[in-house]
Amino acid sequence: MIPVLVIAFGVSFPNAAGVGLITILATSSATGAAYVRDRLSDLRIGMFLEIATVPGALIGAALTVYLSHENLNDALLVALGIVLLAIIPSTIARRDIELPVGVVPDARSRQLGLVGRYHDGPLDRDVPYAAGDTSPALGVMFGAGIISGMFGIGAGVFKVLSLERFLGLPMKVATATSNFMMGVTAAAGAGILFAAGYVNPVLAAPIAIGTAGGAYLGSRVLPGLRNRTVRLMFLPVVAALAIEVILRGLGI
Amino acid sequence: MSAPSPAANVADDPGALPPSAYLRMSAVLRIGLLAAIAILASGTIAYVLKHPGATSGDVIASNPILRYLSLSGLISGLAGGHVEAYLTLGLLVLVATPILRVASGLYYFYVGRERAMTAITFIVLVLLFFGILVLGPALR
Repeated sequence: MIPVLVIAFGVSFPNAAGVGLITILATSSATGAAYVRDRLSDLRIGMFLEIATVPGALIGAALTVYLSHENLNDALLVALGIVLLAIIPSTIARRDIELPVGVVPDARSRQLGLVGRYHDGPLDRDVPYAAGDTSPALGVMFGAGIISGMFGIGAGVFKVLSLERFLGLPMKVATATSNFMMGVTAAAGAGILFAAGYVNPVLAAPIAIGTAGGAYLGSRVLPGLRNRTVRLMFLPVVAALAIEVILRGLGI
Repeated sequence: MSAPSPAANVADDPGALPPSAYLRMSAVLRIGLLAAIAILASGTIAYVLKHPGATSGDVIASNPILRYLSLSGLISGLAGGHVEAYLTLGLLVLVATPILRVASGLYYFYVGRERAMTAITFIVLVLLFFGILVLGPALR
């Protein structure tokens, strides 16, 4: 959506990022309520990792405003294109570890009690889990925060990577916790852009309503459709937009 | 099932936040979203009625938010019935919803006497306010 706003509608980059973060807020709250109620979101692990995503988002949003002031919009476009291209392979290769095995919690994880359990419907049992390597997870989350604040995207792919790959959380918990964290990360980035005057309320309002409605409908209408199918469906669109923004940024 | 269940060796007791914490945070999200959407939807309808001929170009060219970024500006805008002030308020509610959730997490960790988690959540909250009250206005 950000590339469409920038290229097709001529919205300035920080304005587009601000609107993007507003849509992330709407999506996260719309789907998050159910995840949190069903105790799929791990509040403890999510809050712990926000110590990395929130400063990342603050830096990212400040960077977007700075680069835009310096007339480096083209550089931002190219960077956005590269990020979008980078998302593609990780989306295809996403492993979706249903239930991880052999996770060894590190000292920090044990000290903070980063363990939990959730009820798995299809398996019909409670599944306990524990967070593994917290240091690389924090590192990836910091990067995800910067990307989120800079480009106004959720960076969910990177969050899930951190949660599944390094913390070794089960897929459902990773997805729900990433969604939960996205709202707080987006609030950090959106807060800055909002306070700096880069969120046009007349532009953001209808987009926020549409996104919240779409997220709500999606969670009602599409539960049968697998996440992976939906993600793969969008890949050609993402690839085309990525190439388009890079070409624009390079002035071709 | 012969394979040991994952992480079976760790404590059975999960995150240990009370069940009410989950229900309350879920309610915070739902109420925050519904309030924001209600304000934004009625504001958008009012905007369209007021500016029937507005194109997307007009909307993008005008960014009225700077007038409503101070508390006094926002209040006088709301009192004066300016649609843009209501839209700004709706977006504020949307941004405030996750922040409220962090604040409620802080409460539960504090009540549960979890020093480390309380400190972490407190820092996150401080950073969020720093962004909105200090860093954002500095970038204006």
